[in-house]
Amino acid sequence: MDFKFNRQMRVTINRNGVIGRRDFLRGVSVAGLAAGAAHWTDAVGARADELRSRGMSCILLWMQGGPSQFETFDPKPGHENGGETKAIATAVPGLQFADNLPHVAKTAGDLAVIRSMTTKEGNHPRATFLLHTSYVPTASVHHPTFGSVVSRELGRLDAELPSFVRIGPRFVSAGAGGLLGADYNPFSVPSPDRLPDNVQPATDTARYQRRLGLLDNLESAASGAAATETAEHRGLYKKASQMVLSPQMAAFDLSREPEAMREAYGKTNFGAGCLLARRLVEAGVTFVEVGLGNWDTHQDNFTRVGALSGELDQPFAYLINDLKSRGMLDKTLVIWMGEFGRTPRINPRGGRDHYPRAFSAVLAGGGVRGGRVIGRTDAGGVDVEDRPVSAVDLFRTFYKSLGIDADRENMSAIGRPIKIVDGGQAVEELFT
Amino acid sequence: MSRFLLSALALCSLLTGLAPAAEPGYRQAAAKVDALLSEEVFQTSAGGTVELAPLAGDETFLRRVTLDLVGRPPSPAEITAFALDRSANKRSAQVERLLAQAGFGRNWARYWRDVIFYRRSDERALIAAPGAEDYLTERFNANAPWDAIARSFVTAVGDIREQGRTAIIMAQMADPNDVTAEMSRILLGVQIQCAQCHDHPTDRWKRQQFHELAAFFPRVQLRPKRGDGALSFEIASFDSGRARRAPGMPGRGALEHYMPDLNDPSSQGTLMTPSFFVTGESIELGKSDLERRQSLANWMTSPSNPWFAKAFVNRIWAELVGEGFYEPVDDLGPDRKCSAPATMDYLAEQFIASKYDVKELFRTILATQAYQRESRPRRNPDQLPFTANCPQPLRSDQIYDSLFAALGADAQATAPQRRGAGPYRIGGPRAQFAGVFGYDPSDRRDEISGSIPQALLLMNSPQVNRGINARNRNSELDRLVTQVSDDDEVAEELYLRCLAREPNEKELAVCRDYVRGAGDRAAAFEDIFWALINSAEFLHRN
Repeated sequence: MDFKFNRQMRVTINRNGVIGRRDFLRGVSVAGLAAGAAHWTDAVGARADELRSRGMSCILLWMQGGPSQFETFDPKPGHENGGETKAIATAVPGLQFADNLPHVAKTAGDLAVIRSMTTKEGNHPRATFLLHTSYVPTASVHHPTFGSVVSRELGRLDAELPSFVRIGPRFVSAGAGGLLGADYNPFSVPSPDRLPDNVQPATDTARYQRRLGLLDNLESAASGAAATETAEHRGLYKKASQMVLSPQMAAFDLSREPEAMREAYGKTNFGAGCLLARRLVEAGVTFVEVGLGNWDTHQDNFTRVGALSGELDQPFAYLINDLKSRGMLDKTLVIWMGEFGRTPRINPRGGRDHYPRAFSAVLAGGGVRGGRVIGRTDAGGVDVEDRPVSAVDLFRTFYKSLGIDADRENMSAIGRPIKIVDGGQAVEELFT
Repeated sequence: MSRFLLSALALCSLLTGLAPAAEPGYRQAAAKVDALLSEEVFQTSAGGTVELAPLAGDETFLRRVTLDLVGRPPSPAEITAFALDRSANKRSAQVERLLAQAGFGRNWARYWRDVIFYRRSDERALIAAPGAEDYLTERFNANAPWDAIARSFVTAVGDIREQGRTAIIMAQMADPNDVTAEMSRILLGVQIQCAQCHDHPTDRWKRQQFHELAAFFPRVQLRPKRGDGALSFEIASFDSGRARRAPGMPGRGALEHYMPDLNDPSSQGTLMTPSFFVTGESIELGKSDLERRQSLANWMTSPSNPWFAKAFVNRIWAELVGEGFYEPVDDLGPDRKCSAPATMDYLAEQFIASKYDVKELFRTILATQAYQRESRPRRNPDQLPFTANCPQPLRSDQIYDSLFAALGADAQATAPQRRGAGPYRIGGPRAQFAGVFGYDPSDRRDEISGSIPQALLLMNSPQVNRGINARNRNSELDRLVTQVSDDDEVAEELYLRCLAREPNEKELAVCRDYVRGAGDRAAAFEDIFWALINSAEFLHRN
């Protein structure tokens, strides 16, 4: 069975959505599927292809732990809640960031800062899930993570590279394909400086191909009961072997970048991750998530956020500049966010605790007009004073930027239709 | 038949000499289960019976039951011994042998370890996973009753590395709401956490009942321990101090539990009296941590609470027969659909009557025709359940052990010890492997599908390719190709090692052609070995 077809089919089933994916597969004879039923693909692919052809991509810079808005994008110098953090001018007159982000401040003309994020989830796993899916976790529905939805909606069907790549340490609750299936799970790159595990064949190409042919012949000769499993397995091996043999895999190899470029992004893990994200998007990958952890600063907030911002500042700024100079920024939505913000009050250990009531997120590219601020917190950063933006509002905004209909429904395992985003309204003024 | 098979004959005659167990009650129970399924599921409106899959042959049965009980495939010697055994009760005799192996406890301990830790709320909880696995291994091998194990989970205190019973509490970092949700989901199969935030029109249990259950756990406290350098935690009781938990600090302990006011989350909320939603039994405010938890443990595991027995029976049945009476396996309750209620009730009653005897439940289910039927692809919703067994995707530990059973122990010894990223730091190569092949065993099996990284690992990883290398002097394949000149015999041996069966004629023909067409015989068999390890059948049990 051709993988391309397999994937289209799943799209269809979910859209028509009365039965689960496996149920449908079983309803159609496996032999018929293997022989190919091209009209199916044609019938359902048309609208989706138009979307895919727009070539939109997304890079999510995920700040695990909950970055302090006071020490990044919503400083409160002069207020006791602001602590010792100073504000600096940015490229946009009247707009100030914390002094931890001098490089990012220079790119402010391309950034839209939402200072009025507000949710009710102050627990890491729940909030991480919320800011990856737009839903709170439930045991009964496996909501797909953001990157899985985007890769399903926009991923190129003929892509040889995975359409959703997650770079950096694995964070619990960041989610996976969920009800969309394992096809849409992130392809994980734990360390951007090393090729992903097992992507190179153990033998020469000719022998590798002979082995694949033998596997096919032996599976055809078997008389086992697991016909559905075998058909899916073949689709998977076809896709995996295409990837292994693809010249595009060079996109994962950072050693192909000139040293000057490595240095421009900063030779840290996060810097290498941002550079790899740009290479992957350039090679046609639809969604790349790059993680930077340890923002959970219950103690010693100011020193630690200072150090973390040092890791963030240069790569984030250079990523925006690099995308822009390559003409890729308009078609690439870049998002900076974490699961929540930090408390206005500084605790006795010099830390800030979890604070979902008022925090910041940043967008750039993807049709978002930069150089402005959405929403406002009060003088002490305690409450949102103007233009509150909820998690569902934020996700509506992302999907609007990417051209994805957020009201489209997918089927849960128990046959319940689940919208990509349930409720909320996009922050329209970002696009005007 | 290869000479390796024949060499197992001696072993076989030893095994058949074992006396069968005395004619046991579980056989009658199994027959009753099949009769009930026949009555409530298989009868057609015309009074006949729907077509049922025939019983599986010996090869299929042996691989299935060995993977199901001890988590590894049968060895070529076991396959031969079983094939040559002519006694009528050889299947139940094999079940007894497997139940007596230490691998039984280990396999099922790993299953429950995954049930508990896949839903962890914090990566640090994984520190407790190895201890939980060892604890449960010992308990299942000693055939400890399930109610005793369940009570130990509810009442656990102590160092999480040493006390495996702290697993469920630690997996949720002692947060009273999360611990409540998981105790209910895992031990009762009731997803009462759906009611944590608001009442649901279709569920009978209300928000207040969730928080009354949580009121058994506010005094559970999680304390970090830094003794010998390694981070650990201790589960303790918090019986004096502030009445209300500091917000945002779960696991610190509080004297009582308050249901939050949804309209005013910053207010104190409503004080909850501990009460068990199934039976309505309750304990007054002010009781100590262990008084609360011991009361709840007793009420949860009492025969008057039907969900405790049903939750366990449903999971084990689903693992063995391929589909639960309730799906997903952890979503039971009076408002959920049961596909064979009389059968479910009967098995649960038997389980209670046996005083929650775990091995006896296995014996019963494994003796049913429902278990022993051939596998067929998972049914469509309009087809009847249990007319056949279902192919199951193997769990990560089963694949890991299958892989090294095929490749030989030498390959395992050379597996890399590199520290993985994220949650799989803990536990070495087996846990790293689980990072690629693992899945939450509570998830619906028809939602589990293969992934690209899995295919990449089996195709390209150095471990696998070293293991199949015929030029490696210690490898199994080197021994085979140098000692056995008959190509069919080598192919048969590889099929036995990888798939626990002999190849059919077509498969033998494919292998023959391949070896003849290749210039290098050893290399050709490496390729066949590679293909078998990369087959769908290797990753499933039929």
